[in-house]
Amino acid sequence: MGMRRYIAKRVGHAALVIYFVATVVFIAVRSIPGDPARLMLGGDAPPEAIEALRQELRLDEPVYIQYFYWMRDILFGDLGESIFNNQPVLDLLIGVAGPTLSIGLVGMAIAFLIAIPAGIVSATRRYQVEDYLATLFSFIGISVPGFFIGILLILVFANRFEFLPAFGYVKPQEGLVTWFSHVILPALAVGVPYGGIIMRMTRSSMLEVLNEDYMRTARSKGLSPRLVLYKHGLQNALIPVVTVSGILFAVLLGGVVSVEIVFGIRGMGRLLINSINRRDFPVIQGGVILISIVFVFMNLLVDLVYTMINPKIKYGGGE
Amino acid sequence: MSTSLSDIVKTDRARIFGIRTDLIEQFVDTLQQDLKAKVGLVIVSVFILAAIFAPELTPYDPMAQEYGVFQPPTLSGAHPLGTDSYGRDILSRVMYGARISLAVGLGAVLFGGFFGVLIGLLSGYYGGWIDDVLMRAVDVMWAFPWLLIAIMLVAIFGQGFWNVIFAVGFAYIDDFARITRGEVLSVREEEYILAAENVGLSDFEIIFEETFPNTVAPIIVQFTVLVARAMLAESTLSFLGLGVKPTTPTWGAMLGQGRTFLTQAPWISIIPGILIMITVLGINLFGDALRDAFDVKEGDEA
Repeated sequence: MGMRRYIAKRVGHAALVIYFVATVVFIAVRSIPGDPARLMLGGDAPPEAIEALRQELRLDEPVYIQYFYWMRDILFGDLGESIFNNQPVLDLLIGVAGPTLSIGLVGMAIAFLIAIPAGIVSATRRYQVEDYLATLFSFIGISVPGFFIGILLILVFANRFEFLPAFGYVKPQEGLVTWFSHVILPALAVGVPYGGIIMRMTRSSMLEVLNEDYMRTARSKGLSPRLVLYKHGLQNALIPVVTVSGILFAVLLGGVVSVEIVFGIRGMGRLLINSINRRDFPVIQGGVILISIVFVFMNLLVDLVYTMINPKIKYGGGE
Repeated sequence: MSTSLSDIVKTDRARIFGIRTDLIEQFVDTLQQDLKAKVGLVIVSVFILAAIFAPELTPYDPMAQEYGVFQPPTLSGAHPLGTDSYGRDILSRVMYGARISLAVGLGAVLFGGFFGVLIGLLSGYYGGWIDDVLMRAVDVMWAFPWLLIAIMLVAIFGQGFWNVIFAVGFAYIDDFARITRGEVLSVREEEYILAAENVGLSDFEIIFEETFPNTVAPIIVQFTVLVARAMLAESTLSFLGLGVKPTTPTWGAMLGQGRTFLTQAPWISIIPGILIMITVLGINLFGDALRDAFDVKEGDEA
């Protein structure tokens, strides 16, 4: 398969995923028992308001018409309006995207910076102290929920040493250092579980590559072990890691929601949870869809960037 | 006629509950040599026993409030793990919390496992367009932001034991389908399957009585690993107030509610947090030991 076809296939797959997420959200909201409009507005809402909302959501039309309009609106970036404050859902979400993206991206960067070297060391020094330490770290990483890491970090760095802020978010425009000091703890909280998985993947993928024939051939040609390891080994070992790291954005995002709550950060996750408490369904739906789009897009981006950097990837089967 | 022949086909390896005894022997071997496996087994056993016998073992009613009692853990006192701000005994509450973790963890993975294994068996056995359709669906599911979908499902359908199980369990269908299909493809051409086909066993018998038992090792490993992940997902939902029920003591909910007193009474949050960590760690270690014992490759299951 050529690179162009591979890219087309990846883009098509991403579009398909978003389409299915939108469909799942549509089905879920339509299968609310009883009248969704009444549920959204609460039992004591005036009947006129309920009727108006039914009109707005096209609840009296046949389901396939509702579905058509639903998809059309999403395609044109219209996610409806908040029931709570009547603002367009898209504006609301974009307004709080900054903190979420900051935490997610810094968290991911931390995870990669720690996990990939740790995984390589672990594989090359198998069954030695370094391997056991790295493995212990990764096992703990995959076993702790992000929100608990957040709470521990607050207790240690914010309460005890009063070293870093435990609350809120500051925009990078207001000073990079202040921004970073607010982002680092939540980023660690989402990054550690993610890093744990990435490390394990790197280790097992590296171990597998080290046993491949071409590695042995390269070594027997008299190339230095270092060159063999980084030139031939790492490039190939990282392919499955990169593929999985994209998919694992989901883990990261799930972490971001609860970590935003712990650190009192007004991001997309907190907006989502607040909207759930207010039964503000358009924001819930829109939030799930928009976050999914971001997630699938980043996933795609990682995949494509890696394809460009490393033209030696085999574009096989898509398995 | 067909039963006797299928018996011949099956007797090549002895089984207990459909698991080949050689796998069980391998696991016992690993258990004896591997520290990881021992630690994992101890943690998992304590957790399961605490969950099952919580009503018999707990010193207090987990909901009983004691006015004016708000004390830190004193390992010897009346409340070994302390009380929360309502004077409720934390030890009793975490033991009841273990029941929810265990029940949701197992329930969600059984739900995902049932449908996933079924999809994997059909997809791998029949191949062709059935395989294409099912695997395309599984590919799409793989890329779903599941925790987000679970949050939305619980938000829409309301809190509750079964709702949480389904919301969490959906995410695991694709993992099981992928692994089972891969295994079916690798045993598909084995002699005993071909023999079973020649003997004229029905598709049902071949799939469930001949193929499935031979794909079971990686499925067990996957099951264990996913129980750990389901427990983390449950604790996250509970933490966000979207768990089983607001009044039920669960580890995630206790941790979340304790945040109000984080500076004055950090133990309310820290104790359930540490329990989540240790239990999930134990299950992960146990799962890893199983993986080593059954010689299952760590692959695309993440």
